[in-house]
Amino acid sequence: MNSILQRYSGSNAGGLSKSTIDEDNDFSDAMWGSEAGFGTLAKGVPGFVVPSVPDPAAFLRLHTDDHADPSCRIKIQHGTTTLAFRFQGGVIVAVDSRATAGSYVASGTVKKVIEINPYLLGTMAGGAADCQYWETYLGMHCRLHELRNRERISVSAASKYLSNLVYSYKGMGLSMGTMICGWDKTGPAVFYVDSDGTRLKGDLFSVGSGSTFAYGVLDQGYRWDLTDEEAQELGRRSIYAAGHRDAFSGNTCNLYHVKEDGWKFIGNYDITKLHYEGPGDVAGSPGHGYGYDMRVEGRSSANPPEAPAQA
Amino acid sequence: MIMPDMDSLAHPQERRFNPYTENGGTILAIAGADFSVIAGDTRQSEGYSIQTRYAPKVFRLTDRAVLAVNGFAADGNMFVKKVKQRLEWYHHAHAKDMPLRAIARLIQTMLYARRFFPYYVYNILGGIEEDGTGAVYSFDPVGSYEREACRAAGAAQSLVQPFLDNQIYFKNQEAAQGTSHPSHLPLETVLSIVIDSFTSATERHIEVGDGLEIFIALSKGRTLQGMESIRGLQELTVTEDGERLFVMRRDLKKD
Amino acid sequence: MSIMEYNGGSVIAMVGKDCVAIASDLRLGSQALGISSNFQRIFPVTDRVYVGLPGLATDVTTLRERFRYRVNMYTIKEEREIEPETFAHLVSSTLYQHRFGPYFIEPVMAGLSKTPSGGFKPFIAATDLIGCLNFAKDFVVAGTASAKLFGVAEGLWEPDLEAEDLFETISQTLLNAVDRDAYSGWGAIVHVITKDKIITRTLKGRMD
Repeated sequence: MNSILQRYSGSNAGGLSKSTIDEDNDFSDAMWGSEAGFGTLAKGVPGFVVPSVPDPAAFLRLHTDDHADPSCRIKIQHGTTTLAFRFQGGVIVAVDSRATAGSYVASGTVKKVIEINPYLLGTMAGGAADCQYWETYLGMHCRLHELRNRERISVSAASKYLSNLVYSYKGMGLSMGTMICGWDKTGPAVFYVDSDGTRLKGDLFSVGSGSTFAYGVLDQGYRWDLTDEEAQELGRRSIYAAGHRDAFSGNTCNLYHVKEDGWKFIGNYDITKLHYEGPGDVAGSPGHGYGYDMRVEGRSSANPPEAPAQA
Repeated sequence: MIMPDMDSLAHPQERRFNPYTENGGTILAIAGADFSVIAGDTRQSEGYSIQTRYAPKVFRLTDRAVLAVNGFAADGNMFVKKVKQRLEWYHHAHAKDMPLRAIARLIQTMLYARRFFPYYVYNILGGIEEDGTGAVYSFDPVGSYEREACRAAGAAQSLVQPFLDNQIYFKNQEAAQGTSHPSHLPLETVLSIVIDSFTSATERHIEVGDGLEIFIALSKGRTLQGMESIRGLQELTVTEDGERLFVMRRDLKKD
Repeated sequence: MSIMEYNGGSVIAMVGKDCVAIASDLRLGSQALGISSNFQRIFPVTDRVYVGLPGLATDVTTLRERFRYRVNMYTIKEEREIEPETFAHLVSSTLYQHRFGPYFIEPVMAGLSKTPSGGFKPFIAATDLIGCLNFAKDFVVAGTASAKLFGVAEGLWEPDLEAEDLFETISQTLLNAVDRDAYSGWGAIVHVITKDKIITRTLKGRMD
């Protein structure tokens, strides 16, 4: 066991591989086989190829930053609403499932909750690949922590590991805004980590282009002593609000609930169905559609109730 | 000899390193219950010029995995070469082909290794999973990926994908009372949708056309069920386990 | 960020057998933010001609009034209703008048024109924002979802569709196209113009 550990743990978390000139000279034994897909894990952080120009970050930005230049070639998928909050009954994690490249809806079925291990969830906002890759990588190191210390990693430690990792690439163009959620010895925990190196502990976060809409609903309905049903409904309703108003969020809502015995997937809800019919027969359902029209039909001055029949 | 005039030297000049071009074309993959179809047109262009009318974009990786690449052709060809190399090494080490889901993860790590100098390539991986189901994985240039039932990428993705949403996923269609939409379509239907998608894209997009290459991966024990005589079909391989791989070539309009 | 995409929205028109259809989504946005899900951008010109005005919302209102004025003047002078072909040229010349400071609208027209024998012939047309006319025989599209509309329409449309089939075809084309466009959607409206009636239906579309 120790030899395996040593093989995998001789890593420095951070820093680019120096072998950036010729990647072909640098094959490890691991590349011949499979090491969970991370062929170069044995050497710590994988080596990255960097263009040989004076300012690699400017080069990357030139070709990939569609926010500054919509005609750039490589379109990294953007646009999201994600939220997570802590309450008496654990942690609720809710996200949308839309990915856009410019105005094109590239996918409506993105999994923006990354299941790091049975006790840890990470959310995805910003670069999809950055989140997927580094949170998978984080999952592997959480497992190594368990093997080394014979106990599960705390949410705080896991999030700090990720934070330090992305901080070592600061300025290189990574883009991620993530919430690391879980349950450890201290109870339910949520940490916000982003690619600038920010790491915040908190009760309630929302990240992405639709976060302002989600916060609007979330702040209004949030209490510590929410029941499980109320909390799940609040998560769903907040993502719906963002999916409805924000052009770059929508399609479906994925809902997770983290409790003492790990996370549980609650469900996948179509935003349009939530608008017209509501979440259906689930805990906390209001029994009608969330949509404005559904709630005011025949009641507003613009659409008044039918006049009572004249006698 | 032309001497630079002093005026042009008086202004600051900017030179930028641009290692990328866009070579057009479109790729598409659809997964069935026990098969997978991966297709791409064969035109390669740069701007308004056609460089060649036959440049394959769809490649056989193993007996049950096919990779379609689109974007910058030079990056695409190099990337396919490197994936094939890694798969061969895997075969030497493990005396078996790499399973599809492992190839998908391998492609993610290979793309992400170039996070700061990306391959300008959109990848779609299609094939047969270990459990015998048809699968499609789609990737962005830096390696985020997802398993899906159908995906179009490339120049005409925005033309083809909404059509596929309608015809494959039955989006915006209500099933007749008491019935439901099939979750997987038969091969014959899928093939005709693929061909229709490319003829439509050829009509409305200048970068799509010339030829169409469709790879069909069949799961263990599945037959073509009467489609053996279909025009342009050619069998590539049969595995010991009984998985079969076909390619079908068709012409598209060349104007 | 293009001014043509500032408010979002798309329009499509299709030809059928002795009928035409024109349809649009109902979203009005301010870039990513959705403002209204009941923004009409298709307007009747006569009993048998409709015009759709996708593009910048402020110009939708201005151009609509401008067309109304010019069509009314035409009707008064000529003492007859304007034919769709004539209206298309009216649209074109109105836009070209503003060649160097254009309205940010790409109009789409659909109508039935009178034939010498007293029958009706389907007519559709579209122009770019400075009035270059496109008389297509099958379908025309415009707006933020135009590429998506082209793709689906090319796959679904066929010649000589009856009014009800044309309604289904244009509805499916529109709904599936706008679902792949971040700036279009939030409901849809379809008008099918036949020789003796106009069928207008509001569609329940995706609300995200």
